Amino acid sequence: MTRHTDDGDGDAEGGNGPDGERGDGPAADTDRSTPAPGVPEAGRDEQPSIFVPDDGEVSDETPPERPATDGGVESATGGSDSADLDPDAYDPVDVFPGGDLDLREGADSCYKCTSCDTSCPVAEVDEEFPGPKFQGPEQWRLKRKGDHDIDESITSCSNCMRCDDACPSSVPLSQMHNEARGQFVESQMEKLSREYVRNRILSNYRFFASIASKVPRLANAATKIPGAMKLGEKVLGIAGDREFPDFATQTFREWWKDRGGAQVTDPDKRVAYFHGCYSNYNTPEVGKAMVRVYEHFGYEVMVPPQKCSGTPMFANGMLKDARRHAETNVENLVEAIGEGADVIASCTSCSLSLRQEYPELFDIHGIEDVSEHTYEALEYLRINEDLEGELAGTELADEQAFAYHAPCHARNQGLSRQAVETFRDVDGVTMEDVGDSCSGISGTYGWKAEKYETSMEIGEEMFEHMEDAKGDVGMTECPTCAMQMEHGTGYEVEHPLQLLEDAVGA
Amino acid sequence: MDQQVDVVVVGGGSTGCGVVRDLARRGLDAVLVEKGNLTHGTTGRMHGLLHSGGRYAVSDQKSARECIEENRVLRDIAGHCVEETGGLFVKRPEDSEEYFQEKLEGCRACDIPVEVIDGEEARRREPYLARDVEKAIALPDGAVDPFRLCVANAADAREHGARIETHAPVTDVLVEGGEVVGVEVEHETGPGERVHREPGTTEEIRARHVVNATGAWAGNLGEMAGVDVEVRPSKGVMTVMNTRQVDTVINRCRPKGDADIIVPHETACILGTTDEEVDDPEDYPEEEWEVDLMIETLSELVPALKDARTLRSFWGVRPLYEPPGTGTEDPTDITRDYFLLDHGDRDDLPGMTTIVGGKLTTYRMMAESISDHVCDALGHDATCDTADAPLPGSESEARMAELMDEFGLRSPVARRSGQRLGSRADDVLDDCDPNPVICQCEGVTRAEVRDAIGEAGSDLNAVRLRTRASMGNCQGGFCTHRIAAELAQEYPEPVVRDAEDELYQERWKGQRHALWGRQLSQAMLNHLLHATTMNRDGDPANLDSEVDFGAFDAGADSEPAGPNEGGNAGTATADGGTDGDR
Ligand SMILES: Cc1cc2nc3c(=O)[nH]c(=O)nc-3n(C[C@H](O)[C@H](O)[C@H](O)COP(=O)(O)OP(=O)(O)OC[C@H]3O[C@@H](n4cnc5c(N)ncnc54)[C@H](O)[C@@H]3O)c2cc1C
Ligand code: SF4
Ligand code: SF4
Repeated sequence: MTRHTDDGDGDAEGGNGPDGERGDGPAADTDRSTPAPGVPEAGRDEQPSIFVPDDGEVSDETPPERPATDGGVESATGGSDSADLDPDAYDPVDVFPGGDLDLREGADSCYKCTSCDTSCPVAEVDEEFPGPKFQGPEQWRLKRKGDHDIDESITSCSNCMRCDDACPSSVPLSQMHNEARGQFVESQMEKLSREYVRNRILSNYRFFASIASKVPRLANAATKIPGAMKLGEKVLGIAGDREFPDFATQTFREWWKDRGGAQVTDPDKRVAYFHGCYSNYNTPEVGKAMVRVYEHFGYEVMVPPQKCSGTPMFANGMLKDARRHAETNVENLVEAIGEGADVIASCTSCSLSLRQEYPELFDIHGIEDVSEHTYEALEYLRINEDLEGELAGTELADEQAFAYHAPCHARNQGLSRQAVETFRDVDGVTMEDVGDSCSGISGTYGWKAEKYETSMEIGEEMFEHMEDAKGDVGMTECPTCAMQMEHGTGYEVEHPLQLLEDAVGA
Repeated sequence: MDQQVDVVVVGGGSTGCGVVRDLARRGLDAVLVEKGNLTHGTTGRMHGLLHSGGRYAVSDQKSARECIEENRVLRDIAGHCVEETGGLFVKRPEDSEEYFQEKLEGCRACDIPVEVIDGEEARRREPYLARDVEKAIALPDGAVDPFRLCVANAADAREHGARIETHAPVTDVLVEGGEVVGVEVEHETGPGERVHREPGTTEEIRARHVVNATGAWAGNLGEMAGVDVEVRPSKGVMTVMNTRQVDTVINRCRPKGDADIIVPHETACILGTTDEEVDDPEDYPEEEWEVDLMIETLSELVPALKDARTLRSFWGVRPLYEPPGTGTEDPTDITRDYFLLDHGDRDDLPGMTTIVGGKLTTYRMMAESISDHVCDALGHDATCDTADAPLPGSESEARMAELMDEFGLRSPVARRSGQRLGSRADDVLDDCDPNPVICQCEGVTRAEVRDAIGEAGSDLNAVRLRTRASMGNCQGGFCTHRIAAELAQEYPEPVVRDAEDELYQERWKGQRHALWGRQLSQAMLNHLLHATTMNRDGDPANLDSEVDFGAFDAGADSEPAGPNEGGNAGTATADGGTDGDR
């Protein structure tokens, strides 16, 4: 199989971390009694469920057909497998022969209450979509070893993960969807189909963005050529009504390099910034705001080499691509963690991916540590700094009202109220929550021509509420929600970090 | 309306169904009578293992040989009733190496194909196996669905002219002039009774020969005829898990013992079992410690079982028989072989033969030998073809991939339908559009439910056995009413209500032994749903007074009323109808 990713791209040299030895490893948190959100309770088996030789002697000649715990995806870097490195590691999920995850056990927790179905934005508008209860616990329970017929409707799930949040019984719904989608794409989707090619392109956005940003003006102009997007729709099935996002003339990483990296150094107060693709290529002002705000609070910011967080790949069932990117990310983030940093993302989907989807889907050495050390940017400051005190009495130069939309993925991390709460006491800021509906774009979902209508129908409620709200500037943590908000209302949309930058005068 | 036939077969378990099929195919005029629905007895309460013979390879090689032979036959003639899971006999460190070798040699001696694999390979095949499992013998055990098997046998018999009568207990064996000449049956009535034949009537069925295939009840029937049949019923518990922790049959490789086998069955895993003699096959204690023992002991093989969700437990009684005078103390030592008792030779009462013992796996062979015997007695000359003629539903590979497109089913649902229906899938699914999923846990659609109602009448437990509807993790909480709604298309309301209650009760019965953790949450949710949302704990329709249907409006679409008028009509329903309110 051919691979279209940009393993050779130059990011890797952009990092600023001191080039020392890898620290003696993250302080591995051995307390596994609290599983990540949505992960089935581990520890029901006192033994690792994956076979590890008893005598602690790790044989070099691991049989090639031994199942991996992560969907059997071979590692591009010849990478590690924590079962080898950490004989005591317990993996909560098991495998079917051939390496696909066996998540049937997760169905044990479902008692069919249907809360997930009633909170699924796609099921609400799409008659044909059977809903998360079927996609998750029911479909998995009906599965047998060797069965390879995932229902095609799994591709209609936008991976908004609202069902995870709705389930009162901790059924690992999105993990089930992600794995099922991966298995569907791997074994049932025609690899030369237009849909596959299109999804591959959308999910490897970073690759195309990295090329476009080398010639940003040209790329921006190209997407504005009349009919260019219509052509995209015809040829690739990319929704023609969407405006392609502008590419920044200077990426975040270029800016970072130009300014000479970190301006503050403090080995005791370090964060590693996971900027993600979008704030690198399209909205570097968000990344810049993050750096300035964090430096204002005295943090040393590190910008380790990184690739895509995998969010768009999960949503398209491209687990192999996601795994390769994850290997790079985990390797570099683990190194930063070893140097005392916590990982900060400004995109809520990136932070959710690192926190939840990574350990659920992949078994890469250190992936649990990355998960445990990752935070969203505003969340981290609210935990570790006296933001309230800092902001009390501050005033925004120009009064502004915002229509704030909490992304579904922020909701999943319990962050849906943070922006409203943070800016409550800033004079001149009116922040109105536009409600708990889904924006409908869900990353790459709304970019697909056949999903465009559904996407806009889901977004309808949010558009209406935004228009009703007092403000005429939108606010959200998620770049694709921002795209949808802008598309549906014509509002300019900001990230809370940008407002924070203004408020604290960083 | 008395009838004269060649043979009456009493008992609709695997044995009786096999016998009536065989006799009908040989051209005899046969009737099967069963007091409950098909598989009402032990057959409906067994483990579902299609033996490879491995279990008996040391202790009882004759049985082992019969098992492997019939195992091959059933894969052939009953493909849609069998899942070829394969099986493992696994050895833990504390289990005897000597016995492992004996088992291995025993299997080879009985022509059971075996392969020895090490612990690592065993875990590669079954990742949930405990990591200190040392090694295993792999052999061709399988899973068999007893319900589908019996139904297919009965259907084939009917196609060959037999009459199948369920809910018709034999109340007397007719003896005239020192000879059995038939039976008396009662067509049951009562709450939830089926609208089949004339309920409440008695019928004498006169026959040239009576076959007693009542399993653990064989003694009762013997008594009616005035002969002694020494059946020693022995109970065993089986615990049903919500999901499949293993996809292979897992046996513990040690001489004998309780709780040593896990059979993957459809969407579930069934743990078993115990072996304890009881006095009455209808009335024996179902004890909690038996369930605990299953989970505790078997989690030595599959640790995940300890915290996995159990759905329910059920018990069955083995119809063990031993010739008078053997005097075995421990029921596990009683042979698992079957016995054919010719009451003419044995008790000087010609006209009746009893068949007891044996296993479901060898049901066809048992049926063949008793049919030979009956043909002999009747002087009927015909050969047996049951080992070669496929059962209805198994004639051809179901076209599952096509089904999905044809019938618009979600693919795992289509696969399940295909597996259950076999080659009948096309016919069943063909004329039901739209075809929504009625039982979501097991993926059973309206078409399948309607088909089963067509075959089984208003007995929803029989519909359940045919389709698996209501056998998943909600245990009927979310689907009994939907299934009953299908019944309401054809049957009057009281029948439907009784049938619904019966099914729901039956589901509750087994869950009583699984009321902790997640199944307890499920049971509570089910209860609230049924009691509160559906008002089944105080349903006006079940109260003495009439429901004032006049107080309800005719629905939103019935009259093109303006908004004001519509509001008025709404008030009538909003208060729940004062007349029915008690
Ligand atoms: C716990 C347990 C586990 C088992 N596991 C397996 C296994 O894994 N594999 C295997 O091959 N075998 C297994 N067996 C054995 C197997 O289940 C039985 O051998 C087989 O089902 C017996 O079938 P039968 O038709 O002889 O008896 P039954 O199924 O008991 O049939 C007798 C029928 O007669 C009916 N009847 C009784 N009295 C009357 C009357 N007066 N009038 C009309 N009808 C009447 C009853 O309602 C009943 O339906 C197991 C048995 C037990 C108890
Ligand atoms: S992830 Fe979102 S779209 Fe997908 S099933 Fe769950 S709620 Fe529905
Ligand atoms: S919300 Fe959770 S428990 Fe309820 S039906 Fe959905 S998966 Fe099952």
